[in-house]
Amino acid sequence: MANTEKKVLSRKTLNRSFHHWFYGHLTAFSQEHMQTFGYLTSMLPIVEELYDNKEDQEKAMKTYTAFFNTEPQLGTIIVGITASLEEARANQVNSGSDGDVDDTTINGLRAGLMGPIAGIGDSLVVGTLIPVILGIALGMSDGGSPLGAIFYIIVWNLLGYFGMRFAYFKGYELGDKAVGILIGAQGKAVRKAIATVGGMVVGGVAATWVTVKTSFRLTNSSGKAYLVLQDKLDSVYPGLLTAAFIVACWWLMAKKNISPIKVMLILVVVALIGVLLGFFNPGLTY
Amino acid sequence: MTISWIQASILGIFASLSSMPGMAGSTIGNYTLGRPLVGGLVCGIVLGDMKTGIAAGVAMQLVYIALVTPGGTVSADLRAVSYIGIPLAMVAIHAQGLSATSANAADLAKSMGTLVGTVGTVLFYGTATMNLVWQHMGWRAVEKGDFKKLYAVDWGYPWISHLFFSFIPTVLMTHFGSSAVQALKTALPMDGIPMKTLFTVGALLPCVGIAILLKQIVEGPLDFIPFFVGFTFAASLKLNLVSVTVVSLIFAMIFYKLDMAISTNKQPVASSSGGAVIDDDEEEEDI
Repeated sequence: MANTEKKVLSRKTLNRSFHHWFYGHLTAFSQEHMQTFGYLTSMLPIVEELYDNKEDQEKAMKTYTAFFNTEPQLGTIIVGITASLEEARANQVNSGSDGDVDDTTINGLRAGLMGPIAGIGDSLVVGTLIPVILGIALGMSDGGSPLGAIFYIIVWNLLGYFGMRFAYFKGYELGDKAVGILIGAQGKAVRKAIATVGGMVVGGVAATWVTVKTSFRLTNSSGKAYLVLQDKLDSVYPGLLTAAFIVACWWLMAKKNISPIKVMLILVVVALIGVLLGFFNPGLTY
Repeated sequence: MTISWIQASILGIFASLSSMPGMAGSTIGNYTLGRPLVGGLVCGIVLGDMKTGIAAGVAMQLVYIALVTPGGTVSADLRAVSYIGIPLAMVAIHAQGLSATSANAADLAKSMGTLVGTVGTVLFYGTATMNLVWQHMGWRAVEKGDFKKLYAVDWGYPWISHLFFSFIPTVLMTHFGSSAVQALKTALPMDGIPMKTLFTVGALLPCVGIAILLKQIVEGPLDFIPFFVGFTFAASLKLNLVSVTVVSLIFAMIFYKLDMAISTNKQPVASSSGGAVIDDDEEEEDI
């Protein structure tokens, strides 16, 4: 029964598996099983190629019914890693040897990587890459030009597709060796470096695109303003009021655990009081 | 400006494609079509006024520039912002007779869009809950070993969830909402307290978007330093975003090298025979 021929996944199957993940990782999302079905559909071509009989296929697919959720773009690397592990397991089964890859190792690795990858992915993809491309695009679309939107569509999709493709095949190539790189000392150093870029870019985005201004001024009897609060604040630190509002929102969410929707409602109240006191005035006319 | 049934239906299809668990996949769907900047382009083309669409999209994008969904907790699902909020904001800008590229139009777009956008959270949980039905069918298929059915579960059936929680709400809200927005003009004068408040809120809302992102990056007070350095570069030195990114890379490189140097210096000491002695010393210091 033992088959000594070593099985290697074909490029075609790996491509299919990657595209199933690229498209379907979130389509059947629910709060209970977030990306599990996306994972199942991307492992199916691999399992079908590696195992000839139905029983082995069913046994292998059962592994991937465990809960899965991570940052989907960078998380592609985990799918690549498991493709390589599944290949190793199939060769164990066929040669009849007791190898060290089983359900527990694969799922342990998936569960162990989900969290760290989500952390790196959120700050790298959603926190830095997308705001930077969007920031450039927003400048190009200032004044109602479609150029910025088109720029964003092209640049993000090229980076997204080829970045995810690279992550998948890198994961497949490295197999479980990738784990050490991702969550070891080097991974931690990379994460810290990315967070620094992210922090500075977000600061730049805030200063460039967010403006909170007060209209508060004191005038003397002849109607001449002798105190324009906005100018005074800006002479202390340009954008002081904007920065103060951002830090206040952060404090409410991070330190007081108030949800973003509630913070928005608080801002409505702040705006109403500010308008009534003459602190805010958008200066509108028909 | 009004929104016809056909225009509303096209917007409905885009809403289905672009939500967080959207039918175009997250790279093309949520992160491309779902971005208000891209939504502004689409809505501008569909409603026949690209300039206003883009301007409203740019304004809305600022509020949601940094939308992070840690662990699937959703603060806002952008399908409603981009394909219900932006079209209605465009109608409102027209109704108020504002110039598309003015700051007032932008503030109006932000508050209108965000107000409507909160509906997105409801739509998100609706879609996710209905998907439980398809997942249940999926588990049955897995038990029977009928794996081909997984493709229908992952790629096909969720369209039904989106019919109910993306398509129909978008069609109804954009079609009937446009006449409601028209009526708003006569009901609320521009220089009244409600409108002034609405516009002020529009200017304040982007602070929330930035703060959501900061929440991801900032763990202690020191983590605020990179943020303020970037802020100072842009606000005081007037650098643009690409320049800020380039400058930040040198800091990233320094931190990376420093961290690697520290960790490689630690390892030989810990693994050498002298390691135990050093560990003892540290323990004594702790006491």
